[in-house]
Amino acid sequence: MTRGPGLASQQQGNNGIVPPTVLVVEDDALLREALSSLFRSVGMRCQLFGSAPELLNSQLPDGPSCLVLDIRLPEVSGLDFQTQLGKAGIHLPIIFMTGHGDIPMSVRAMKAGAVDFLTKPFRDQDILDAVNGALDRDRQRRERDRALSELQTLLRTLTPREREVMAFVATGLMNKQIAGELQLSEITVKIHRGRLMKKMGARTLADLVRMAAALRITAPKK
Amino acid sequence: MRHRLSPRASGNSRLLAPLAILLAAGIFAVDTIDQFSGDVSVLYVVVPLLGAGALRRRGIVLSSLACIALTLLSFWLVHGIDASGGALSRCLMSIAAIAITTLLVLKNQATSTDLSEKAQLLDLTHDAIFVRGMDDLVTYWNRGAEAIYGWSAEYAAGKSTHQLLRTVFPASLYEINQELLRSDRWEGELVHTKQDGSAIVVSSRWSLKKDADGKPLAVLETNTDISQRRQAEVEVLKAQADLAHVTRLTTLGELTASIAHEVNQPLAGIVLNSEACLRWVDRDKPDLDEVRSAVRRSIADAQRASDIVRRIRSLAKKGDIEMSLVDLNDIVNESLVLVRRELITNRIALKLNLANRPMPALGDRIQLQQLLINLLINGIQAMTSSDNDLREIIVTTSIDESNQANVRVQDSGPGIDPDSAQQLFKAFFTTKANGIGMGLSICRSIVEAHGGRVWVVPNPGRGAILQFSLPRVEKDAES
Repeated sequence: MTRGPGLASQQQGNNGIVPPTVLVVEDDALLREALSSLFRSVGMRCQLFGSAPELLNSQLPDGPSCLVLDIRLPEVSGLDFQTQLGKAGIHLPIIFMTGHGDIPMSVRAMKAGAVDFLTKPFRDQDILDAVNGALDRDRQRRERDRALSELQTLLRTLTPREREVMAFVATGLMNKQIAGELQLSEITVKIHRGRLMKKMGARTLADLVRMAAALRITAPKK
Repeated sequence: MRHRLSPRASGNSRLLAPLAILLAAGIFAVDTIDQFSGDVSVLYVVVPLLGAGALRRRGIVLSSLACIALTLLSFWLVHGIDASGGALSRCLMSIAAIAITTLLVLKNQATSTDLSEKAQLLDLTHDAIFVRGMDDLVTYWNRGAEAIYGWSAEYAAGKSTHQLLRTVFPASLYEINQELLRSDRWEGELVHTKQDGSAIVVSSRWSLKKDADGKPLAVLETNTDISQRRQAEVEVLKAQADLAHVTRLTTLGELTASIAHEVNQPLAGIVLNSEACLRWVDRDKPDLDEVRSAVRRSIADAQRASDIVRRIRSLAKKGDIEMSLVDLNDIVNESLVLVRRELITNRIALKLNLANRPMPALGDRIQLQQLLINLLINGIQAMTSSDNDLREIIVTTSIDESNQANVRVQDSGPGIDPDSAQQLFKAFFTTKANGIGMGLSICRSIVEAHGGRVWVVPNPGRGAILQFSLPRVEKDAES
């Protein structure tokens, strides 16, 4: 039996980085405890919830995390909870646990963006792989979010004119064309362009284009 | 004191008529030849007495008139017309004696005819009727008793009924006799053994006969053979049990998804706990506390799984009805094991208001569980087919003033309209698109087989309330 992913997470935990947290929503107390034991045995943190509202009413962890959810839950079903989370802007990757013969439900869940699907009873490695995959995904998402918010901070340092110039540059216009569009001299455009490249920390035109795409900056249409 | 109430024509009666004629002729001869005949003619009274055994009313009257005529004839032959005063008065005395005897005989015969007709009526009935003295010895045994039990009246006479019929009593004979002496009657079911050795169940009614001072004299026992009825009842019960079994399987079929979940859950727990356990052991520093708690959880899960499998097996099993003392609160809890997941899946809240005292009842555990499961599923299905926001099932158990154990299942579905309420428990009545209408009709037969009843409690504008009651059994009754 390979224990690779588990050990990797464990080491990560020991290195002082915030250890990943698995959020478990399962109404069956015994199974909840079993999952907790498994996750803790590989060094993951685990928060247990008996129902969906219980989770919504508690503080969610900062670090990478994912959700392990029973598809048949009392009060609010797993599927409805998935929808609720989406509406609340919580984008945790979800791994559904399902009983036998829940195929229509599974299809719905996958369409709504579930990461993985495990049919009970499942092996520990299956759920650990699924959880690690989900945590990786969450890490990437968090990285993307972080990078984006940095860019947004930088973007706020630009003057309105610089922003305009950035938008035209990103769409591939040459300085001369931009000057024509903004009714400025070509030299002025050049100065703006140099400043904004510096402020945004873009070393090449390609960098700037990527940033504009991430920030969804487009040239104003005429 | 033995009095046969059913006289039979015996061989003797046919000899009586010629004997009477012979006697009359003899008396006439002596009376006519003898000079002191006036005394002899009194003997004519024997003729109507003899005739009473053989002749009807008219015959007796005619024979008496003949005797009087013979008396007068011999008086005329002996004394002629001018008889002495003494002879005449003796003759008149004789005639008077014959007339009085005849009247008495007629009256007596009327009474005994009446009695024998009544006795014949008793013989017409198919019931076994017998009279036994306070010493239990048979003094009367009708033809019905002969037919049912096989013993003739002659054989049964003077025998003890309880020994002859090997009576099995529903209570001790002492208690039954106390009841009989107290209220002059007793009714109940007895098991009797016939002459051919086979046993029959009889519905028995005893009446006490007393003398003028109220001293008990005899017991009149009337027994109706209800073996066939009992047999039919047993067959109905068996058919009902078969049907209950089939619908139970159907119900289990409906619950498949929930049951699979209930079994999978602990299995998943066992797998996860065991694997977590290995990981805790394989660590650089094995964590034995974690190992222990994981193993404990595995054990608990394994027990849970086997408990559920046992529940399902017992429901799926086709068994005879086994009446035992059960607690209805337990039945409710046991039934919920299989329905719990169904409630969760349909997001129905469950409220349990169980009586905080034992609710002992006599019943078949499996059938009562089936009853509860059916009522619960009925409620669940009623709610899932409606868009009501409030989804709850309330199960209440209580004991009412008349000492009945009540179980009530209330849902928050669309309710039952009064027209349907009448038919709800009939077979094949259903309000569901794909229902076969067996669920509640089986509920009714189960409840009725347990001596209880099930009904709809009116709850206008709100959810449906179905309630059943069973006779409560005192726990002491068992010991």
